[in-house]
Amino acid sequence: MEAARPIMWNVPHGAEIALYVLIPLVLAAFAAGVAWRIRKWFVGQADPAEGNIRRQLLRQFLTGLQPRRLAEWVRTAFFQSRLKSDGFSLFMHLAIFWGMLVLAVGTALATVDQDFTNLFFDFQILRGFFYKWFELALDLFGLVLILGLALAAYRRYLVRPERLQAARTGISLWDGFPFLTALFLIAVTGFVIEGLRLAEGFHIETQVAAARDAGAKDRAMDEMNLRERFRVGRERQDTQLARIAQGGPVFPAAAWAPVGYGLARIMRPLPLGAIQAAHQLAWWLHGLLAFGLIVAVPFTKAFHLLSSPANMLLRVPTPPGKLAVAAESGVNTVRDFTWRQLLQVDACTWCGKCQEACPGHAAGFPLSPRNLVQAIDSRLLRTPVKGNGDTPSLHGSIVKPEELWACCACRACEEVCPVFVQQPRLIVDLRRRLVDQGQVDEGLQDALMNFQRYGNSFGQSARKRPEWAKTLGFPLKDARKEEVEYLWFVGDYASYDQRAQEITRTIAKVLHLAGIDVGLLMEKEQNAGNDVRRVGEEGLFSMLREKNLKEWAGAKFRNLLTTDPHTYNTLKNEYRGNGQSGGEDADSPLAGKQVLHYTELLDELLRQGTLKLGGSLGCAVTYHDPCYLGRYNGVYEPPRRVLQALGAELVEMPRHGPHSFCCGAGGGRIWMKDAPGIAERPAENRVKEALALPGVECLVVACPKDLVMFQDAVKTVGAEGWLRVADLGELVYESMGIPVS
Amino acid sequence: MNIAVVIRQVPDLIEPLEIDASGSALDLDSASFIVNESDDHALEQAILLKEAGGATVNVVALDFGNVDDTLYAASAKGADRIFKIPLDGLPPPPRAAAALFAEAIKPLQADLVLVGVQAHDELDGGVSPFLAAAMNLPYVGVIRGVKAASEPGTISVCKEFPGAVMARLKVKLPAVLGILGAEQPPRYVPVSRIRAAMKSTQFEERSVATSPSEPLLSVCRLYPPASGSRAEMLSGSETEVAARIAEILAQKGMVK
Repeated sequence: MEAARPIMWNVPHGAEIALYVLIPLVLAAFAAGVAWRIRKWFVGQADPAEGNIRRQLLRQFLTGLQPRRLAEWVRTAFFQSRLKSDGFSLFMHLAIFWGMLVLAVGTALATVDQDFTNLFFDFQILRGFFYKWFELALDLFGLVLILGLALAAYRRYLVRPERLQAARTGISLWDGFPFLTALFLIAVTGFVIEGLRLAEGFHIETQVAAARDAGAKDRAMDEMNLRERFRVGRERQDTQLARIAQGGPVFPAAAWAPVGYGLARIMRPLPLGAIQAAHQLAWWLHGLLAFGLIVAVPFTKAFHLLSSPANMLLRVPTPPGKLAVAAESGVNTVRDFTWRQLLQVDACTWCGKCQEACPGHAAGFPLSPRNLVQAIDSRLLRTPVKGNGDTPSLHGSIVKPEELWACCACRACEEVCPVFVQQPRLIVDLRRRLVDQGQVDEGLQDALMNFQRYGNSFGQSARKRPEWAKTLGFPLKDARKEEVEYLWFVGDYASYDQRAQEITRTIAKVLHLAGIDVGLLMEKEQNAGNDVRRVGEEGLFSMLREKNLKEWAGAKFRNLLTTDPHTYNTLKNEYRGNGQSGGEDADSPLAGKQVLHYTELLDELLRQGTLKLGGSLGCAVTYHDPCYLGRYNGVYEPPRRVLQALGAELVEMPRHGPHSFCCGAGGGRIWMKDAPGIAERPAENRVKEALALPGVECLVVACPKDLVMFQDAVKTVGAEGWLRVADLGELVYESMGIPVS
Repeated sequence: MNIAVVIRQVPDLIEPLEIDASGSALDLDSASFIVNESDDHALEQAILLKEAGGATVNVVALDFGNVDDTLYAASAKGADRIFKIPLDGLPPPPRAAAALFAEAIKPLQADLVLVGVQAHDELDGGVSPFLAAAMNLPYVGVIRGVKAASEPGTISVCKEFPGAVMARLKVKLPAVLGILGAEQPPRYVPVSRIRAAMKSTQFEERSVATSPSEPLLSVCRLYPPASGSRAEMLSGSETEVAARIAEILAQKGMVK
């Protein structure tokens, strides 16, 4: 009793011919659509650090084939591992993806089976044991697909998350409706076709069984045209008919398709004519829906089925802290982005996770990273492939300046993006154009002018930079004059802001007590330029960088130390090599030197036993991961180990580690006015998160800007006396036995 | 329209100022210089006029200190020609400086001369009216915005009077305007544009000779304000504080 997949059961010849006409048309439309879309990516530029696009693509493709990259690709594209922090989304998406994939592969296999091996060689691959498991798998994954779609519908129409809605770009809870409905109907009609076919099988079996003798059975089978209905070779027809004549099943694998089988049992009472007509109707519906869906893929957001995996395969993993510069004078039109950036933009799935993570959006600023990406993408899709020079500027109606200036460059969006879109880089490239055109926020302009003139954002004399050290009670070395182990690159806030200065002095005392040999560049230190670069003033960044490198060249030191995560990020990632394609340059004053954040140094000193702490803090604290220490550079554990050594009970905020929530100072926002539409400053939002933790008395920070931002926020939310904002250095100093005066 | 803009360098008050050995002047060698703020507005106003209706913007400056940085920035903003007046030694006081600027500007046949209405080193009077006098041109000062006028040969200006009273005036050209503020704040020039200007800009030297003029005033002594401890912080209830204020005023003979 050999089971085999029935070939075109109950499908009239005319319909079969129509199908053969339609298939190439559908495939051609699909291919044309995909080609149309892929060509859009290449209106972008080659990456400045690499050669032409063709060579770049080839090299990239070969890199993508390395086992490690390939494994990552399978994980991220086929198992959506980037969604792992959101179990519901992960499960829903995996269900839809795998349901769809298995059904599509199954259909492809069936096509090969009926239109190739059976047609030309009178041979079926979908037969016997394999066919039975095939039936079972397709039924189960059909159910998985429906489950995934039900979860999607539950989320879209009952939970209705804000991130799936946007007024501007056509993103709404209903944008996925046609696609999800089509998938649902395809799955349902698939089951119905199967059920009707099996129900007809039951009818045939009943009629054959009703015939009294062999002759009557043959006649009954002839009347039903049963031989012609098996569209296989004569010999295999004989086998089938013989089985049926002996009272065997028409479809021996029926029970291997549990859903279809169940439906068949329900539909069995229907008259035969109705079953056959309904079967043909469902068959057409199923086919046309599937064809429609295939043709629609390149023209809808379903294209992320192709573009997202392509982006995952063709991306270049670089350190997050090292900003690539697409265009020196900024991006004006979509053509100024690199092709990789355009691919990223086109890979966006509209999921809005970036928007949910964005501190600017949470504050009520006019920024949603997703809407920005979508605005660029819809412009891209309307851009002709052949350049005619009059591509409209992205600035103004498509991307508004206030949107770009609202970004804190905290990278929360990029971190959470399931498909590796680098929103902050798009924003900085666009900002660079505004800066080039002199269109900057008033506060920002003052800061930039101050950098140009004084090397700091405070508009203070460079000579005042080391003044904080005057009241220390012990001298700090001048690294330009004598050799030091650690050159302490202090940074603007730690040098000039009165409150941050206190902490700087405290940390200096800790280092002094621990016997660490540190020195300063004194008035010759200039702002390191991390945030200058991220507001888009690339020329100013280069200038500051050159000045600092020049001073280092004349100083003797073994390693660099800083308390400021922003400074840390750029010194660590953007000061080596030429700052762009960062190989280590042997002539660089940084060659062979480490850049350390003070939390890393304290951790190391504790490990070595050079620093001994009382371990007597004994209170519950929470720790805020600074964006540029944690998310940008992966330094999560050293500050936590120091807290542990202090004897503190660490209670984590819900958003911690890579999902830490920015204080709102990054990306140059600290120099700008509050953006229009502000509802709640990011720092206030964060302080409330800390206040909600039971028993926590202290919010520990490791960044001079965080200290200032959160101390202000504690006042504005009226929590003074409830929550202490303390730098990790302060706690260490207190634990060394000397209370901070 | 042909516009001339005067740009001056003044000591930067952010940096500590020192008095030279004579005791009657700043030690300019130790000072650092910055563009005079209202001159920066004059330049911005000239560039705005150029952008609005087309104009040639000529910048004139005395050559000393780090004036080059300021002039490269002016070029990056859109100044067409830049003239430097060579100096022997330090810049002269305002009246003499005005005479130098007048001589340098005359050959340009400018329709409009824009100059900042004030600078914090104007000891013997403002450069802008002196310049108008030296050029024998009409002068309007304390201007907050200049616009092209419909009538040819004139320009429309917005002048500020005390008490923030504004007047729109029609001024016959050529004229000298003392600018307090441009229609919008001076624009930001990115460093990359300044660096590009450094490569492409050619300064023109304009040597001028003027008969030396006697300074209108001379400085006897220059000294930092003496810090005393005359402030008295009042505390207590409102009534007590009020009573103490009345007492102090009576002591000083200000009320009876």
